[in-house]
Order: sequence, then C-alpha cells, then structure tokens
Amino acid sequence: MRKRSGGAWRLISLGIALVLAAAHAPAAESKVKMLMAGLNFDHFSRTVVWDGDTGPSRLQASLVSARTDFGFGKGLTLSLSAGLSLTDFEGLAFGTLPIPLAYDASPIKGLVLGAELEALLLKYGDFEIKAAGRFVSSFGMSRTWPLEGFAVVGEAKGRSNWMEASAGPRLAYLLSDAFVPYLEVNARWLRADFRMEETLEDLQGHEKKLVKGDLSFSVALGGDTRVSDRLTIKAKAGLVPYAGGADVLASVGLLYMF
Amino acid sequence: MKLPAKRSVKAIPAILVLLVVGLGTTDGGWVRQTKRGDRLSRRPARILRVERPALRRGPRYAADRVLVRFKPAVADAYAEGLLRSYGFSSVRKIPRIGVYSVRTSPGASVAETLAMLRRNADIEQARPDYRARLADTPNDTFFIQYQYNLRNRGIVLDISDDIQPQTTAGADIKATPAWDAAKGDPEVVIAILDSGVDRTHPDLAAKVISPGRDFANDDEDATDDHWHGTHVAGVAAADSNNAEGIAGVAWNCKILPVKVAGADGTGFYSWIIDGIIWAADQGADVINLSLGGDFDDPFLEDACKYAFDRGVVVVASAGNDYGGPVLYPAAYDSYVLAVAATDYNDEPADFSSSGPQVDVAAPGVYILGPAPQWYVGEAYLPYLFASGTSQAAPHVSGMAALIKSLKPELKTADVMRIIRYTADDVNASVDRGRDDHIGYGRINMEKALVPYILK
Repeated sequence: MRKRSGGAWRLISLGIALVLAAAHAPAAESKVKMLMAGLNFDHFSRTVVWDGDTGPSRLQASLVSARTDFGFGKGLTLSLSAGLSLTDFEGLAFGTLPIPLAYDASPIKGLVLGAELEALLLKYGDFEIKAAGRFVSSFGMSRTWPLEGFAVVGEAKGRSNWMEASAGPRLAYLLSDAFVPYLEVNARWLRADFRMEETLEDLQGHEKKLVKGDLSFSVALGGDTRVSDRLTIKAKAGLVPYAGGADVLASVGLLYMF
Repeated sequence: MKLPAKRSVKAIPAILVLLVVGLGTTDGGWVRQTKRGDRLSRRPARILRVERPALRRGPRYAADRVLVRFKPAVADAYAEGLLRSYGFSSVRKIPRIGVYSVRTSPGASVAETLAMLRRNADIEQARPDYRARLADTPNDTFFIQYQYNLRNRGIVLDISDDIQPQTTAGADIKATPAWDAAKGDPEVVIAILDSGVDRTHPDLAAKVISPGRDFANDDEDATDDHWHGTHVAGVAAADSNNAEGIAGVAWNCKILPVKVAGADGTGFYSWIIDGIIWAADQGADVINLSLGGDFDDPFLEDACKYAFDRGVVVVASAGNDYGGPVLYPAAYDSYVLAVAATDYNDEPADFSSSGPQVDVAAPGVYILGPAPQWYVGEAYLPYLFASGTSQAAPHVSGMAALIKSLKPELKTADVMRIIRYTADDVNASVDRGRDDHIGYGRINMEKALVPYILK
C-alpha cells in the first residue's frame, strides 16, 4: 500500500480545525455577523507559455477544499479555504536537463490555501455590485519517476507550485431570498513553477520552468442558492478566452450556516 | 624533416614513437574503395532542404482536438449528430477514411474527452491529434543504401561482389530520431586531429572553417596528403541533406582540420600535443583523435587535460588490436572518451582493442566516408568504405557536438557522462553492464537528445 502524504492529512486536519473553530467562535461577541462553513470544488484550465517554450501548453487544476465564510456586515465577506489540488501539466518539456524530459504523467497532488474577499460597492433596486478578489496558492508535493533504459540507475524528481490571483466586479440580481444569480468579470494573474531534478548516477541536473505572471480575463455566471435555512449552494462557471480558444473555470460549494 | 628547436625539445620527452594511426592499414582496419558509378547508387538529386522548426517542446498532441472514427454500421448523420450532442464546437469529417476531427469542449482535456468518447459503443476509435514533425532523414545519395551506422533497416550492405554482409535492423546509433531534436549549431566546431582534411571535397568544402594548422609540416595548411583525416571528418560532420554523398553525424557543425600525422599515416606525440593545445585555443568544442600510440606519456595527458579544462570534449579511438590494450590518448580516462568499434550487427568488432578505459562503442566496420579524389583515382567516386576504431570515434565526436549544440552550458564531464549513460548495452547477453570491450555500450543518440517521456 502506498504511503499517504502526512502533509496532506495535516492540511485536511487544519481545514477541519478551521471550520470547527469558526463554528464554535463566539460570533455574537465579535464583529462576525454571519458564519458559513463547508466544502468547495474548483476546476480551472489555463493555456500558458512556459518560459523558454515555443508553444503554449495547458495547465489544469482541480481543487477540493474546506471553506469558511465570515460575514462582517455591510456586504463584506471573507472566505478562507484549505485543501488539496490535482494539477495536470500536459506536454510540459524540460529541454535543458542533461537528459531532456517530457511530462506525460498523471496530475500532481498539492496542498492548497485560499482567501477571498467580497465587498459591496453599490446597491440599486434589485441589483447590487460587489468587488471580489481571490487568491489561491497550491504547494505541490514532490513526485519521483524512475528513469529506465539507461546504462545506469536514474530518477527524476519534480515539484510544482502555482498561485492565482483574481479580482473584478460582480453584478448580482437579487431575484429572491432563495436564489441570487450574478455575472462576474475578473482579471486573473497566474504564476507557476515546476522544478525538475534528474539524477543518473553522478550525472545530475535540474531545470525550473516558470510562468512568471500570465494575465487573462474571465467572464463567469454564478448563483447562490439557499437550499434551506442553513444550507447554501454556491456555483459558478465561466470562460477564460485566449487567442484561438477558451479555457474554463468552474466552482461549486456546499455551505452550512451556523 | 627538421623540427624547429622549440618543438624538438618538446618532442624528446614525448617519446619519438611513430604512432599507430588507425588508418585501416593496421591489423583490423580495412579500406575499400568505391568505383565510380559502379556500386554506389545514383539517386536523382533533390534540392529540398529541411528547415526544422523548434525542438520537441510543448504538447505532443493538440490540446483541443481529437480524431474519432465510428463503427462502419453507423450512419454519417447519426455520427455527426452524436458528436454535436457532446457539445463539441467544431466537427469536421475527413471523408476518405471516415474520420472526424472534433474540437473538444472548452475546458475538457484531451484525456477526458477521449475517455468519454471511448465509452460510446458506436465509436470504433478515438485518438489524440498527435503532433508530427518534418522527417529528418537526409537526402544524401548514399544515406539509405550504405550508412547503416546512422540508421540500419536490416539491409544487405552491397559493397562489392565478395562483400555483401546482411545487417541487423536497429544496429545503429539512432541518428534519425536524434536529428529531430538537434542537427547541430554551426558555431560548434569539431577539430579533426588527423592526417588533414581535403577541403575541396564536395561533402566537406562547406564545412571546413579554415585551412587549419599542419603540425607535421609546420605550416598553415592542413590539407590531407593521406585519406584518413578526410574520411574521419566526413563521418563526424559531412555536409548533410545536400543531395550528395553521405550524411554526417553532426549535420550543421563545422570542421577544424589539424594535421598531426604525415603522408605515411604516422605522427609524433609532440605534433599531437601541439595540435590538441592549438585546437583548444582556437575554440574547438570537440577534438577527435582517430589515432593512438602504445606509450603512456604525461605530456600527452597534460595536453588532454588542458583541452578538458577548457571545456573541450576529447574523443579518441581505442585502437585496432583485438585483445590489446587501449591506446593513448584514449586511455586517459579522466579527460578522454575511449571509443571501441561495433559492426553492422551490433557485435563488438573483431579488431577492437579493449580495456577498462573503453567508454563506449560506435559502428566501425565498413563505414562509408569521403576520400580525396586524387587518392581513390578518377575512376572512382570520392568515397570509400573503411573499418577501424578510427571510424567509430567520429560518430561519438559528432554526437558530442550535437549535445554541445543543444546544451552549450553543460560541463565537459557531463557531456561525457551523457554519452556513456545513454549507450545501449548491446552485448548484455554475454557481458551485462559496463565491460572492457564496448564500455557502457554502443552509443544511442536518440536517448541522449530526444526527451524521455515521464509516465
């Protein structure tokens, strides 16, 4: 049986602890007017050109995280999340290693931390405009591959991190207490790195691939659905257009109000 | 010939030993001339040059497109409707073979799309739209028929009426897939320390960067008055894809001729020492020494170290004395790659010297290479078949030049390690692992230059 990553379990424990701590916090005594906690699933793809590459390749990430929303009144909400990520790097090539490598393996696991801030800017009738900003960072776990077919024993070891920051306005239509649809336009900034080390006996090399800061814009439609007095589903789907195509983003969360 | 005083002094401690230059006149070396218009085929010349785009960087297949074929019983209208029902934004049929090219839904990966399509019982095959590259097979006249050393498809090597060995497919250095990744940088120079180079040869004229240096006659003209150096230079870096003659291992790399052997095919250690230092000072990236002597000499070793310390990969032939020890300078293990020879069946050549210093092997039996026209005679094409570790070494020099072209930042020792560790252990059935006959094995350019796929 494969050994489970201690780091992953620590982070999950941290997420659960975060939620429980939030749930037991003396909300009435603090400035927190509303408290929600639950699970979130996010998926996004980004077509990027890594430094040194001649063509684009796609980075895809799926995240599962524990999330806690703190409402401070006057439309100000802070959301914190922690969980796991799976990131796929289709066709990424490491051409400057002593033996060049190309990535065609399954997604790499990582630990993810995120924060989101939402503030009400304007309310007009049944419409309101909010400003929303989000920061997510994934810390990839190290992964090792044996290098086979060579005259000596070898292995490659890779680790990847990425972070995405997004910000923009959100136009919501206050249709009812049960459902609030919205349109969101975001500027999205992505930074990613992938460090690969290679060892064949005394032949060693490493290469760090970088996306220093890829800026894109997304358009998304979403909605907050109040399933019951306590349960809310938050869902969102959108496109990130680029020349010749579009990447996607999707998010769904189930939150319990305390 | 009188040596200048300075060189005479250096020559004394360097032992006045006539070198056993691997000229094909040694025990195991053979030379076979090729009669003009006789055996060598004359294929129509083409003027297409392969302009290669960037290396294999980026995805191996389209990130937003897959190819699908339905089972024969499925009607076109149904097939197209089904594909559109998946939400594919673009569906295009290639009617002659009944294949659909479809653009995947935004955000869906190729793997997800293929998995989804393969679950449908009406679909016969769903495959990625793989990226192809221009085929980097050179159009040189003799490449397909005679250069088994670069790509061996199991041909009969039709050398003469009495020499027609059957070769084994795959017993080669995997040059063609490696050329997809690198054909060499014209700035990378291979110094050929030998009997000189025929700069007028049609397969070399465009590759030789200067008249070079002649340490045998102490002048600035390293013209070949033998044939050996011309042949060796061609194996390493003949003008390739020029619809003429042969292909060299390092298509685009240049040649620096350095004459360290006289017309009789021998030379003094002092000439070689001077040649190594001069070539290193001239900025050569690789030094090929298809020669060797029986005697260990600290000055010769110092010269090799001098080149090594300046980032030059020094390659030398192990020697053509089966059962005999590795010659010098090939035996200077720390600074020089010692190259043994294999044949067209990936068997160790029956003339190749052996010893613990042997690093790798390369094809060295019936290797076709250029030769001076005056040497072969007007009745013959200016090419000949030769055998010896002299012919094996320039394969390794060419490979080193390609690695340095692709990764100029690599240290010399790392280039040497790459060449060793990517070799194929072709005699593993009798001698597993590194051995004294072929070292780590017969070189494999593909493993060294084409990306290894991490699964």
